[in-house]
Amino acid sequence: MEKSGSIDSLGSKRSSSRQPSVDSLSSTSTSRSDRSAQAKPPSAMSSDSVATSAELSPELRVKPKTLAKQVPRDSDKEEPQLLPNETVQDMAQDVTYFCPFIGAMRGTVTVTNYRLFFKCMDREPAFVLDLPLGVVSRVEKIGSASSRGDVSYGLVCKDMRNLRFAHKQMDDTLRKSIFEVLMKFAFPVSNGLQIFAFEYGQVFPENGWKVYDAVSEYKRQGIPNESWRITKVNDHYEVCDTYPSTLAVPVNIPDEELKRVSAFRAKGRIPVLSWIHPESQATVTRCSQPMVGVNGKRSKEDEKYLQAIMDANAQSHKLFIFDARPSVNAAANKMKGGGYESEDAYQNAELVFLDIHNIHVMRESLRKLKDVVYPNIEDSHWLSNLESTHWLEHIKLILAGALRIADKVESGKTSVVVHCSDGWDRTGQLTSLSMLMLDGYYRTIRGFEVLLEKEWLSFGHRFQLRIGHGDKNHTDADRSPVFIQFIDCVWQLTRQFPAAFEFNEYFLVTILDHLYSCLFGTFLCNSEQQRLKEEIPKRTVSLWSYINSQLEEFTNPLYVNYSNHVLFPVVSLRHLELWVGYYIRWNPRMRPQEPVHQRYKELLAKRAELQKRVDELQREVTNRSASSSSERAGSPTRSITPVQTFV
Amino acid sequence: MFSVKPLKPTFKCYLPPVQTDVKKTIEQPIKKLEPSLLQGEIVVNEVNFVRKCISAESSQDDLWGKLICTNFKVSFIPQDAPPKQKSKLSHLLLGEHDIPLTCLEQVVTVNDTKGKKKVLGSNQKLKFNPTELILYCKDLRIIRFCFDEAGPESAKKVCLAIAHYSHPADIQLLFGFEYQGRRYHESKGERVNGSTPRGGLQTPIFDRPSDWDREIKRTGASEWRVCAINENYAISQSLPEYIVVPVSLADQDLKQYSIFYTDQRIPLWCWNHVNGSALVRMANINDPLQQKKIDQRVFTAITKSHPQRGEVVRSDLDKCLPNIQDIQSAFVKIRQICVIDPFEESEERWLTSVENSRWLEFVRAFLKHSAEMVYYLEGKNSSVVLQEGEDRDLSCVVSSLVQLMLDPHYRSLIGFQSLVQKEWVMAGHRFLDRCNHLKKNDKEESPLFMLFLDCVWQMMNQYPAAFEFTETYLTVLSDSMWIPLFSTFLFNSPKQRAQYLMDFAKNKAIPQGEDQVVYFPPVWNWSQQLSIKDQTLFNNPMYVGKGAACVQNGEVKTFRRTKKTYSSTMRGTSASQRNGLKGGEEPLPRRGSLLSELKPDFSPVKDESPIERFFRDWFSRPADQQGVLIPLLMPSHVALWKLFFLRWVPEACIPKGGPITAYHKLSQLVDEIEILQSKLRQYKGPSSGSTPLPSPSGPLSDQRRMYFKASSPSDSSTPPDYLSSSFPFTPVGNLCRRGIHGTPISKFLNGARIWLSTETLANDTV
Repeated sequence: MEKSGSIDSLGSKRSSSRQPSVDSLSSTSTSRSDRSAQAKPPSAMSSDSVATSAELSPELRVKPKTLAKQVPRDSDKEEPQLLPNETVQDMAQDVTYFCPFIGAMRGTVTVTNYRLFFKCMDREPAFVLDLPLGVVSRVEKIGSASSRGDVSYGLVCKDMRNLRFAHKQMDDTLRKSIFEVLMKFAFPVSNGLQIFAFEYGQVFPENGWKVYDAVSEYKRQGIPNESWRITKVNDHYEVCDTYPSTLAVPVNIPDEELKRVSAFRAKGRIPVLSWIHPESQATVTRCSQPMVGVNGKRSKEDEKYLQAIMDANAQSHKLFIFDARPSVNAAANKMKGGGYESEDAYQNAELVFLDIHNIHVMRESLRKLKDVVYPNIEDSHWLSNLESTHWLEHIKLILAGALRIADKVESGKTSVVVHCSDGWDRTGQLTSLSMLMLDGYYRTIRGFEVLLEKEWLSFGHRFQLRIGHGDKNHTDADRSPVFIQFIDCVWQLTRQFPAAFEFNEYFLVTILDHLYSCLFGTFLCNSEQQRLKEEIPKRTVSLWSYINSQLEEFTNPLYVNYSNHVLFPVVSLRHLELWVGYYIRWNPRMRPQEPVHQRYKELLAKRAELQKRVDELQREVTNRSASSSSERAGSPTRSITPVQTFV
Repeated sequence: MFSVKPLKPTFKCYLPPVQTDVKKTIEQPIKKLEPSLLQGEIVVNEVNFVRKCISAESSQDDLWGKLICTNFKVSFIPQDAPPKQKSKLSHLLLGEHDIPLTCLEQVVTVNDTKGKKKVLGSNQKLKFNPTELILYCKDLRIIRFCFDEAGPESAKKVCLAIAHYSHPADIQLLFGFEYQGRRYHESKGERVNGSTPRGGLQTPIFDRPSDWDREIKRTGASEWRVCAINENYAISQSLPEYIVVPVSLADQDLKQYSIFYTDQRIPLWCWNHVNGSALVRMANINDPLQQKKIDQRVFTAITKSHPQRGEVVRSDLDKCLPNIQDIQSAFVKIRQICVIDPFEESEERWLTSVENSRWLEFVRAFLKHSAEMVYYLEGKNSSVVLQEGEDRDLSCVVSSLVQLMLDPHYRSLIGFQSLVQKEWVMAGHRFLDRCNHLKKNDKEESPLFMLFLDCVWQMMNQYPAAFEFTETYLTVLSDSMWIPLFSTFLFNSPKQRAQYLMDFAKNKAIPQGEDQVVYFPPVWNWSQQLSIKDQTLFNNPMYVGKGAACVQNGEVKTFRRTKKTYSSTMRGTSASQRNGLKGGEEPLPRRGSLLSELKPDFSPVKDESPIERFFRDWFSRPADQQGVLIPLLMPSHVALWKLFFLRWVPEACIPKGGPITAYHKLSQLVDEIEILQSKLRQYKGPSSGSTPLPSPSGPLSDQRRMYFKASSPSDSSTPPDYLSSSFPFTPVGNLCRRGIHGTPISKFLNGARIWLSTETLANDTV
């Protein structure tokens, strides 16, 4: 299992601290998130769960025995095992790490161009913290030198934790503190360095950059057809520089008109097709807000265009426009030239506001959530504290919006247009969630990758700005957890329909871990155009290469193909839960809860084993009866119906 | 006062009533609607042309039919029964529209035109003609009948009859006494033909020394003995006849001590850890002068019974756990927000409302306290004494939870049932008062058993492979409390039980010496209520029974596992423990709770207390489903038991979703495995034992253990359409709140409405 061994040492697991030794073979640390789902050959399931539970905290050590047995070599080392092209930048002894769960400990810090690695050998087993620098949001020097002359640093991380270190004041004042070195490599963009993804040279058997091809995805949906066509009008990103080059639009609107429509839509983001219902031909289309302005400007082309979208669906004589914003916000946008479709101008269209708040509100909500869950959850008032963050309420509104869209399309057979202001945050959440509800394909692993590539990456969700890869400007108002929120919504769906998704929780956590890690190129840049310009597919590895090379780890064994079944989740706080497996995973008191999946895998193995034995016996019996006589015609084998032996 | 029309009891009782109804209505639609009656059941009053409300949103699905009050139940017989839903358990004793009188919480009559409303009790008058009857049930259903087309006088009479008969003046008026008497005589013939005296019941009842003996042997409690001083309840009114005590205490000592304990409840052994520590429960000692002396003697005896002479830790439950009134009021509140409050309005502040009910807080408090007891027993080799005023309420919850955490035996179906027998029924939990079956004293009502079931569910939710039974089992068990036909939940103590049953036997001419279990069976014989097929819903396909340990992790762990011992002094226990444990000689240097402090951005760091370290250490290892199980105790990990609390709520029902869809898939797989296993057995002959997979206890042979059968390769294994998060229950017709207005689309909005402008709402008319 050479391959998986090396894979293991890659990043995802690193995003958190787990002792290398725990991970025995790979000697990498893994994130707590990878709990039971740890990537490993099947036989490793058990050791995996060992590791996980160890986790009482990410950072806690596991069984000394396991370590000793399996990893004598690595556990002695103070440095991490390096990835291809990863280089050590600095090391420091006698650094204190203040673990909020188990207390202060002293050890060695190694900083590479990819990670921060802390190891404390005093503990048995050794304690390890392994953190990709991409996760670091800011580094703060805390206070001045304390009584003992210590210098203290706090690391605020994007993945819901804070870490605190201290070391002795340097004797040599010329020498930089290791944390200054860290700052340099944690924020490469601000320091004129390259993001590690451009250096990381791992080769995987799968090429994730081939997962998505716009034309074949439209083809899968049956596009082009008599009502919709593929246009190359944006081939050079001239109509809209934040849109993909391949767009699907109504047949009877020529490219020239598309350009005129684009003048009336914010950032040129014209309504284009996201999804079409295979039977009713009702569609989900997305765009940005119309440039109505205070004077109520109109655009004949835009009106005609929306009419064409409606006409493309013969089943309904109505079009629903879902504006993701609260109506007040939409109205306020008129002051800035934007606004929303007036029903006078758009005959047959009905406008619905979904009251989802903007990126700033969401950022604040997640910040509050972090306060509530990290490092510890207070024993009392947990639920009201959680409520006061409004996080679940926002999740609910997004899911409720997506549900209404899916319901209109599925039950109402009506086409819908979805937009917010620019159409790259809330709009993406709504279209992709409603597509998940409507189309079982997106609930497979590959389908979900396609969905992300399409609705998020190609349609220009501004990952670079929202996450701030390698950028030290942590107060940037453009940062916002819109994508995290979307993944949270997906997780909520998997909770309500545990058998409807091919992927498991670990898959979602891995995506979020690599959203920050900067190990893969997938989430770099803000648009397809930028990615092309930076030659991301050429110069970096896709996250899907990593994931698709070990699908087993990310597969939900309970998956049942619901085929054409549309999911109608219950969007109620009675069913929405905080995603503890993500937000609270650093807490050592939290044990990952995925034994159902594990148990299912064990049962599958059991079935395979039994089937084998039955087959063997059957063969034996057949041989014997063939050789002896035909008397045993009524042997038990015949009375038994065949059972499936595959998943 | 009421006209009692004795009808000939029919013997249809063991047929699912609904089916017979269906047939009948097809044959003769207008024909009289006959209730299906059990033996000894008589119709008290009835009214025709009643409308049963099915949906709050419109009346188009409402059912028309006859409303009947018998001496056992409220029954509604629809004129045109809709096809029976596949998704429902068919109960052998109750039809789809039946409610046992004991299950009624409140009977409310309403007159809409006059704007009047009255909650009816026993022997009351009603000054208006009701237009509506709303039945609030103890199992959280709310059922509504309308009398717009019914004769006003008959409607009134039925309402009064229901109210009257649901407030029986005496326990012997509970229908079980009538029913079991008849049943005994009717079925006498069958029993003679061979069935064993206890009806093949596998669950030990703990009413005889042998049951206790077996338990002593099973747990290796060699220094404990069965003691018969309470035979004929000579010492204590509330203890069982046979109890287990330290061998070093003589009967004479015990008799002497008993006078100082509340209700003469001398310390009662519950369970022994393999390390020799014992779990003991006892009542308070009333006389403070004697307390020290007796405590010392008893504790010395307990220590002597410990092979390592482990110390004894006493936990005073009254001081560290909520009392029964608090628990009752929490339950009332959580019920209010789950089923009574309008769905969307309660959405708005849902989390805060749940918190304010304090139900989950209490669930967590009991789990936490029990886990702390586990620490002493498992981590410190100490024996634990649970002390409570009367030792009949909180102790029942804590002692059973501790045993559930420590001993995998109790996580099997039979083990669990024996635990309930041992720690609840025989230990003298006042089921009659706590359930308030006679509706006499609301102050005594408290859902402790329900709280216990919720705690069990929390464990099950966290360790889904550790229990042989399912949440459906727990729910059906909780519902059984409200069917007065089983002896399990009817009495306050073994003595009361024995007394009433003796009277009963006399009255019904049942020969002396007959086993009570035979003439008044406990709930554990599930075939009384459910078909064999439906009982398979109790089986957890994931259960890792002892035989299956090999599948796990390659390495088989046994219950006895080596453990690290920590320093024997109890440094830094958490606040609740400090309050809880006055026993033990250890001085408790205090330290701030880890959690209570304000946390700055980078919180300061503390050292762990031994108990925290014990838990962390435990959590750092993979959980052994057949070993000790400690629940996660963070508030974020204690969840609302949705199947129980929300099963009747239509708005909360996830179509084709919920945990049942995973259960469905798992069951199919296990069924395939069992088919393969039986194949193997056929090849190999009966003896060569392949390890039976999940359940060592269930009969594997002909009966399939799984409710959902393996699909043939041609089928898709898509979950059937009738599955929903409420399965196997259905909200249809079981939750009809009053005064809810809303359109179907509101279901999809679910509270988002408050965020929507009125304009938007107006737009959203489709």
